[in-house]
Amino acid sequence: MGLLNFTRDPVPEAVSGDLHNLNQLSAQQFSDLTQVLFSFLTEPKEVERFLAQLSDFATMNKISLGPLKNIVKSILLVPSGALKRNLSSEQVRADFIALGLSEEKASYFAEQWKVNSPTLTRLAVGQTLMINQLVDMEWKFGVTAGSSELEKVGSIFLQLKLVVKKGSQTENVYMELTLPQFYSFLHEMERVKTSLESFT
Amino acid sequence: MAAPGPAQLPALQGLLKAPSKDAVRQLCQECFSSPPAGLGPLALRTSAGLALSPAEAEQLVSALHGLTRHVVYRGLTRAEDILSLFPETFHQNLKNLLTKIILENISAWRNEAQASQISLPRLVDMDWRVDIKTSSDSISRMAVPTCLLQLKVQEDVALCGNSPVVSALTVELSKETLDTMLEGLGRIRDQLSAVANK
Repeated sequence: MGLLNFTRDPVPEAVSGDLHNLNQLSAQQFSDLTQVLFSFLTEPKEVERFLAQLSDFATMNKISLGPLKNIVKSILLVPSGALKRNLSSEQVRADFIALGLSEEKASYFAEQWKVNSPTLTRLAVGQTLMINQLVDMEWKFGVTAGSSELEKVGSIFLQLKLVVKKGSQTENVYMELTLPQFYSFLHEMERVKTSLESFT
Repeated sequence: MAAPGPAQLPALQGLLKAPSKDAVRQLCQECFSSPPAGLGPLALRTSAGLALSPAEAEQLVSALHGLTRHVVYRGLTRAEDILSLFPETFHQNLKNLLTKIILENISAWRNEAQASQISLPRLVDMDWRVDIKTSSDSISRMAVPTCLLQLKVQEDVALCGNSPVVSALTVELSKETLDTMLEGLGRIRDQLSAVANK
């Protein structure tokens, strides 16, 4: 088989067989199936929709669902490996051909890959580990009118509530800032923004 | 904080036994700063220092605490207002000295009261750094900048006494989160300017 781009591990036996079977689909059928696959890859949470669409495809094209699911599993190995390794559409095409898919179908899939890869890359980056991710910030500010020690105060306070994602739970952190601290905080955050922008 | 009544202030005349004006100054500061619970030990020290009976010292310290706190509470800034708190028969020179000492200290005491008022945990420090993520298990090559922000927050001063508890929280912000945050902070700044310009 030669070296594949999308993986260094040996590919399961069944994959070759599955992809050869795909060659029997017409161009239209292959195009429809590819559409279903990419709509799942770009919205991985829509599992039920994906399964429903696969089932419809099987019925319409008189294919049994069981074997179809196996074929789909085999196909999906390539895009997920390709994403991890930032493969070009050329490399994806080459891998499909090496695995036994016809040139025509491999080229078509590779084209679709090229079109969808910005979305897929963004999704993968979004899944990257973040420590104590800040998910929300709420604030209020007001004037302290008086206290038990001072009848009339008239000073400004600012309260922040930060919602932080710790593992699968969120934690709320409350704090108070004085006005000078607020301006200093704002200034620092603007410096961070400049720094982040210079790296994009 | 109710004004110390005419029955309590005469106890202040125990201060006439003080060795110097500075001693009186010192005692005024200690009485103001002490929480009500701390007045007992302070009275004992004063009783020894001014050769007063424990009962007299307690009344003195309590009256001085009440007087200083009342002036700060009401925000009195004129000598006449403070002088009028004393009864007619009060020792003239002592009355003037106390008024002078109080006026000298009033803004420092006001700041002290404000600094120790109850509040949510306070931000005491912040640090940040920008990292570039170059690789992860989900994608082997990327160049994604991200910000780590460390906020040091101190628990309510009144609860901690002399050993404030400072906790550090480190959060990660993506560029989008930072932009949203800056939008919010900008709105706060605009509203603050609107309030300031009224």
